[in-house]
Amino acid sequence: MKWTRTLLVYLVLLTGAALTLAPFVLSVMTAFKTPEQFARRSSLSWPDPVTLENFGVLLTGRTEFGRAIVITVLAALLLVAGQLLFSIMAAYAFARMRFPGRDALFWVYLSTLMIPAIVLVIPLYLMMAQLGLRNTFWGLVLPFAFASPYATFLLREYFRGIPQDLVDAARLDGANALDVLVEVVVPLSRPIIATVTLITVVSQWNSFLWPRVITTGNDWRPITVATASLQSQYNGNWTLVMAATTLAVVPLLALFLVFQKQIVRSIAITGFK
Amino acid sequence: MAVSDGIRQRAATVQRPGLRRARRRNAIAGYAFLAPSLFGVACFLVLPVLVVIWLSFQSWDLISPARWVGLDNYRSVLTDGVFANSLLVTLVFVVIVIPVQTVLGLFAATLLTRGLPGSGVLRTLYVLPWICAPLALGVVWKWIFAPTGGALNAIIGHRVEWLSEPQLALPAVCAVVIWTNVGYVTLFFMAGLLNIPAYLLEAGRLDGAGPAALFWHVKLPLLRPTMFFVLVTSVISTFQIFDQVYALTGGGPQRRTDVVAARIYYEAFESFSFGRAAVMAVILLVILVAITLAQQLYFQRRITYEMD
Repeated sequence: MKWTRTLLVYLVLLTGAALTLAPFVLSVMTAFKTPEQFARRSSLSWPDPVTLENFGVLLTGRTEFGRAIVITVLAALLLVAGQLLFSIMAAYAFARMRFPGRDALFWVYLSTLMIPAIVLVIPLYLMMAQLGLRNTFWGLVLPFAFASPYATFLLREYFRGIPQDLVDAARLDGANALDVLVEVVVPLSRPIIATVTLITVVSQWNSFLWPRVITTGNDWRPITVATASLQSQYNGNWTLVMAATTLAVVPLLALFLVFQKQIVRSIAITGFK
Repeated sequence: MAVSDGIRQRAATVQRPGLRRARRRNAIAGYAFLAPSLFGVACFLVLPVLVVIWLSFQSWDLISPARWVGLDNYRSVLTDGVFANSLLVTLVFVVIVIPVQTVLGLFAATLLTRGLPGSGVLRTLYVLPWICAPLALGVVWKWIFAPTGGALNAIIGHRVEWLSEPQLALPAVCAVVIWTNVGYVTLFFMAGLLNIPAYLLEAGRLDGAGPAALFWHVKLPLLRPTMFFVLVTSVISTFQIFDQVYALTGGGPQRRTDVVAARIYYEAFESFSFGRAAVMAVILLVILVAITLAQQLYFQRRITYEMD
């Protein structure tokens, strides 16, 4: 009786896992097929022979997919660095410093969390157009390089939990606010900084709407936009398109496998995205 | 703590003449730390909201100069039925996606918190779709649904136009969204279930409650805060769905999947009716702010109620 129930539970859970994984497995299988094999045999067949042809076309051909990957990496690095640095500074100011208007400003930060991306995209596009930054790398990153109210919020909560005694002790030793932040607060906040970094990397790697709006052509588009335009350009050429989605997804899957515990925990404590 | 407070007080008494100067220096340091982030918030979050409100009263196609048109955009958006359709489609999305993913997530979470070996690995697997680019997965599903060469038709063995059949497109897109979200919902319910104190479950068992009674009368009521959090965040994110719709249907067929965010995008960046798009954006913002505030009020009232 007991073991039949356990068996049933596993059966249900494994069905769920199979349904979750099937799209990944099937799309990767397709990415390793030749177009001829894809046309002749069932879409569910194993790739035979396994070919890297599609990836070769993507990375060396006219699609300039390699360039899109480089842009994605550069933009993600820059945005993570900017958001992390400036949000740590802002969170420290909100958590540990006294200045007039502090609480009102923090309230403004919290309210901006309610603004959906689609609402921001229209005015941001017009603002970037006025600055002449349409279809440039700076247009792609500038609006998001300075602030992440969400990261600021998470970091502030954590900084507030650091015992005041440690800060006071450093100050009595003659440390200024910057020393305290760099030598006391940041080393004690590694877990939350790791969480914020992971969240930011994932959301920047995956972002689509703003890059889709601000870039045109192949020069500055990241991998998501490149995948979307490949799909509309080479409609029906699914082996190539699935190679593109594989490239867009695999780096994150790798990141996920390495930082699995931290990522799951980060989602659970922050509820991103 | 008390000792350091004492030290601070003494320091303050000793330096009283310089106190105001110290305070001003502190204020300057505070603003200096805040400055870059505040610049970003002011320029790229607060200013855009003001611009979009201003824009909703303008007629502007980017080529000719912007022109004040009063409430004309609001009138056209609210009367021509296109936006009403988008609101309706979005509501249908919410009504389909949220109950299904909540029930599936809760079910998976109850199975995964039975302490069976392998639960951790399975939980990780379920979250995979959540961390990948919704756009890329939308394209993957576009292939799965493809009439020729698609995986789904290969499995069922005959040709179905999943994404261009008006009756099928919306359920198909909903299925993709549910597939993406279930793992995320599961994660929160697992955390909620694991937080239930063991003695409460034990007490229930001693009172003769079976697994079903335990679920309905002990676990579910105690999951209320988790349930509430999951529902509110899911409603808010479902209202903003864009990437999957863009990849799968582009809002078609016959505007059956034309969710609000997609409509705003096409209105602005394909029809270049920035004024109309701005009106829709303002309305969406108002809806989302209302949902968030309602949630805050509800939470505050519940907390005071439970304190009594």
